[in-house]
Amino acid sequence: MALLEIRALSVDLPVPNGAIHALRRVDLTVTRGTIHGLIGESGCGKTMTAMALLGLLPRGAQIKADRFAFDGMDLRDVAESLRGRRIALISQDPAAALNPVLTIRRQIDDVLRAHHALPKVARHARAVELLAATGLPDPERVLRSYPHQLSGGMQQRVVIAQALATGADLLIADEPTTALDVTIGAQVLALLRNLVQARGLTILMITHDMDVVAEVCDSATILYAGTSIEDGPVAEVLTHPRHPYTRALLAALPDAAPRGAKLAAIEGQIPPPFKPIAGCAFAPRCAVARAECALRPPPERLDGAHRWTCLVEGGLDDKTAA
Amino acid sequence: MTKPLLEVRDLVVRYGSNGPFRTQLRPAVSGVSLSLAPGETLGVVGESGSGKSSLLRAILRLVPSESGAVLLDGQDWLALSPRELRHARQAIGVVAQNPFLSLSPRMTISEILAEPLLARGDRAGAAMQERSAQLLLRCGLPADFLPRRASALSGGQAQRVAIARALALDPRLLVLDEPTSALDISVQAQILNLLSDLKAESGLSMLFVTHNLKVVAHISDHLVVMRNGEVLEQGPTTELLTAPRHDYTRQLFGFGLRAQAVAV
Amino acid sequence: MSSLLQRLGWQGALSLTVILIAFGLALVAPWAAPFPDQGAGAPSIASKFLPPSADHFLGTDHLGRDMLSRVIYGARVSLTSGLLIVAFALLVGLPVGVLAGYFGGWLDEGLMRLTDVFLAFPALLLAVLMAAALGPGLLNSIVAVAVTWWPWYARMARAEVLALRGQPYVEAAQLMGVSHPRIILRHVLPAAVRPISVQAALDVGPALLTASALSFLGLGVSPPIADWGQMVDAGRKFFPERWWYSAAPGIAVFVLALAFSILGDALRDRAGGRRDGSA
Repeated sequence: MALLEIRALSVDLPVPNGAIHALRRVDLTVTRGTIHGLIGESGCGKTMTAMALLGLLPRGAQIKADRFAFDGMDLRDVAESLRGRRIALISQDPAAALNPVLTIRRQIDDVLRAHHALPKVARHARAVELLAATGLPDPERVLRSYPHQLSGGMQQRVVIAQALATGADLLIADEPTTALDVTIGAQVLALLRNLVQARGLTILMITHDMDVVAEVCDSATILYAGTSIEDGPVAEVLTHPRHPYTRALLAALPDAAPRGAKLAAIEGQIPPPFKPIAGCAFAPRCAVARAECALRPPPERLDGAHRWTCLVEGGLDDKTAA
Repeated sequence: MTKPLLEVRDLVVRYGSNGPFRTQLRPAVSGVSLSLAPGETLGVVGESGSGKSSLLRAILRLVPSESGAVLLDGQDWLALSPRELRHARQAIGVVAQNPFLSLSPRMTISEILAEPLLARGDRAGAAMQERSAQLLLRCGLPADFLPRRASALSGGQAQRVAIARALALDPRLLVLDEPTSALDISVQAQILNLLSDLKAESGLSMLFVTHNLKVVAHISDHLVVMRNGEVLEQGPTTELLTAPRHDYTRQLFGFGLRAQAVAV
Repeated sequence: MSSLLQRLGWQGALSLTVILIAFGLALVAPWAAPFPDQGAGAPSIASKFLPPSADHFLGTDHLGRDMLSRVIYGARVSLTSGLLIVAFALLVGLPVGVLAGYFGGWLDEGLMRLTDVFLAFPALLLAVLMAAALGPGLLNSIVAVAVTWWPWYARMARAEVLALRGQPYVEAAQLMGVSHPRIILRHVLPAAVRPISVQAALDVGPALLTASALSFLGLGVSPPIADWGQMVDAGRKFFPERWWYSAAPGIAVFVLALAFSILGDALRDRAGGRRDGSA
C-alpha cells in the first residue's frame, strides 16, 4: 500500500507582481518498504517537494492538490506535526546537520528523549544499537566523539542513526552522497538499502545522479520544471524511458555515447519559474514536439506501472487523463 | 614518439613543512610523473584528498613544489622567474570549476574577455571587440552577450565564457579543473561537446582534472588515476576502462554497490 | 535617492540629513550665521555672557560673540578635521594593508610589525604627544590624529585583500599573466572598497571627537578661529553659571559624531551579506 500519495500538487510562492510556480503539477506515489528516487536537474522542484512534505514551505506559499496524503492523513494539516516523528530528513551535508559543539551522545539522546519515554540507561542502549545498525564500528567511542572527530562517511551514518532515533517510517534523503567520495557514498547507499530491508523503512531519495538511482532505487519519478513527467519501476524508467525529456537526459550522460562522440545535449533552457505554462513544459526543447504540445496539457499514458505524460509518445494501455 | 607538450617528473608537493617547529606532513603529491602529447587530452581522476588539485596547482605554480620537474614544451617551468612566468603563463589557458566565482562579478563579458588580451599588450579598440565576439561565437554564444555580466548568465553560458577567456591567447595547453562539476547533466553534455569540437577543430591539448571518471573518460585519450597523492595507475583510456588493474579504478567508474552490500 | 533612504532606514536617513545640514551650514557659514564677523572671531565686549534669547539663540561668550555663529563656524573646523583625518589615514593605511595582504611574505611581516608598533600605544596619548611635538594648528592636529588612525585601515585592508586574493577570479587573472598592479587595481580593490568605505564613514565621528579633544587640551587650532573642542574648554571656566557656553559646542560635537556613527551602521547593514561576488 502506498505510504505517500500525491496527486496534482502545485506550490506557488507569491512575490511582488506575480508568483513563482515552484511546483506546477507533481504526482508521486511511494510504496511502503521501498526506495523511491525523485530525479531532476536544478530548479526542477525536487527540494521544493521535500519541503512541502516536511511542512517547511516558506510563509505564504499556496499549496493546491487533489490528494496530498501520508498514510491516509492529509499533509496540508499534519505535515508539521509529522516532521521529526514519522518523516525525517537526511541532508546533503552531514557536517552542517550536526552541531559541532555537542557530542554525538548528546545529539542522539536529545532526539530519543523527545520521542520516547525511556530511562537513561535504556536510551544509551538504544543509541548504541542505532549506531551499530548504521554500521559504525565501536559505537561507544562514536558516542563520546564530537562531529569533527569523525570522517564524512561516519558523520552521515550518525545523521542516519539520528533519523532512525525519531522512529520515522519515511526518510527523505536529499542527495545523501553528493558530499561524499564515491567509495564512501556507495557504502552509505548500501546501508540505506539494508535499512529498508531490515526495518521496513521507506526512503524518498532526492538526487540528480542516475548512478545512485540505478544502484539503489526501486522506483523513480522524473521531474521537469516543477512537473512530474514520468514515473515507474527503475528498470522501466531508466532502460525504456518513454518521455522525451527522460530520454534526452539519459542520452546526455557521458557514458551514453561512444568515447569521443558527441553527446546528445538538450538545447535551450528550463522555462522561467514565474512563467505560466499551458501545454507540456518540455515542448520548447523537445525533439518530437508538435504544435499542439504547447497548447494543452499532455495526456497521461500508462504501460503497467510505468506512467508518463506525453502527447506524442503513446503507450500500450492508452488512456487520457483529465 | 612525439615530444610531450607537458611533462611532469617525480613531482612532490608538501604543505606547511617550512619552519623548524612544524612537523613534516605527508606530501599532498608524492612523486607523480605524467606526460601529455600535443593534441591529446589527458584526464587526471581522483577523489578529494587524492592530490589531484595540489598537482594541478603545482603545475600552474600556484603552490610551490618541493622537488621534481615540470616541463612545458621542453622548457623547465619550475625554474622560471616570476617575471618570466607572467608571460609564459599566457601559453596555458585555465578553466575553473565554478564560472560564477572565476569570472569577476564586477566586469562585463566584454571586459572579461579583453583582460587576457590587454595582459598580452594588445590595444583596446574595435579589433579587440571583434576578437572577443569571435571567441564567444567559437564557444557557442552570440556577440550580444558582450555587454552582460556573468551573474546574468546560466551556469552553462558562464562556463562557455570562461572557456572563451581561456582560449583568448591561443594557448598551447588548456587546463580544465572540474569544468562540469557545478553543472547539470544536460549542460555538462553541452560543455563536453564544446570541448570535443575545440579539440577536433584546432588540435587543442587539454589537461582535464576531475573526480568524475565517466566524464573524463568520455573525452580523454589517456587517464591518470590518483589516490593518496600517488598515481595508482595510468594508461590509454580504452585500456583502463576495459581492463583496470585496480579495484579502486573499477569503483570509481561504477559503484560496484551490490558486491559491497554483502560486506556492510 | 528614495530607494537609498528606504534602504538606510529612518535612523540612517535622519543621520544623513543632520550631516548634510552641518555641511551646508559650514559651507555657507558667512551667510548662515546671524553674526558672521563674530563667528569669525571679532569680539563684541558690550554683549558678553548674555544668556540664550531671541537675539542670541545660544547666548554669547566671554567676548560677547554670538554662540550660534561660533558653533556654525566651528562646524567648518570639526568637519574638515574629521574628514581629513580619515582621508590621511586611508591614504597611508590602504596602500600599506593592500601591499601587505597581496604580496604576503616578508613585506607583509615587515609592514604589519610596523603597524603593531603604532597600535601598541594608546591612541589618544600618541595623538597628544604628536600634537605637542608638532605644535598647535589645524593641520598639525589632523596629522597627529591620522598617525594613530592609519594602522586600523592597514589591518582592515590587509584582511580584505587576503580574502579576495584567494578568490578564483583573482587567481584567474594571475594565471592569464595580468600584471600585479592591474590585478590590484582592477580585480582586488573594487571589491575591498565597500567594507572599507563603511568603516571610514563610521570613523569620521570618532575622528572629529578626537580632534575636538586635542583642541580641548589646547593642542588644536588657536583662537580666534572657532573650534568646538576649544570652545568647550573655554566655557569650562564659567560653568555652571554660564552653562550655555560649554553646552552649545558640546551638544554640536555629540550630535554630529552620533550622526556619523549611525550612518556608518546603516551603511554597514546595507552592505551586509553581499560583500563579494553578488555585489
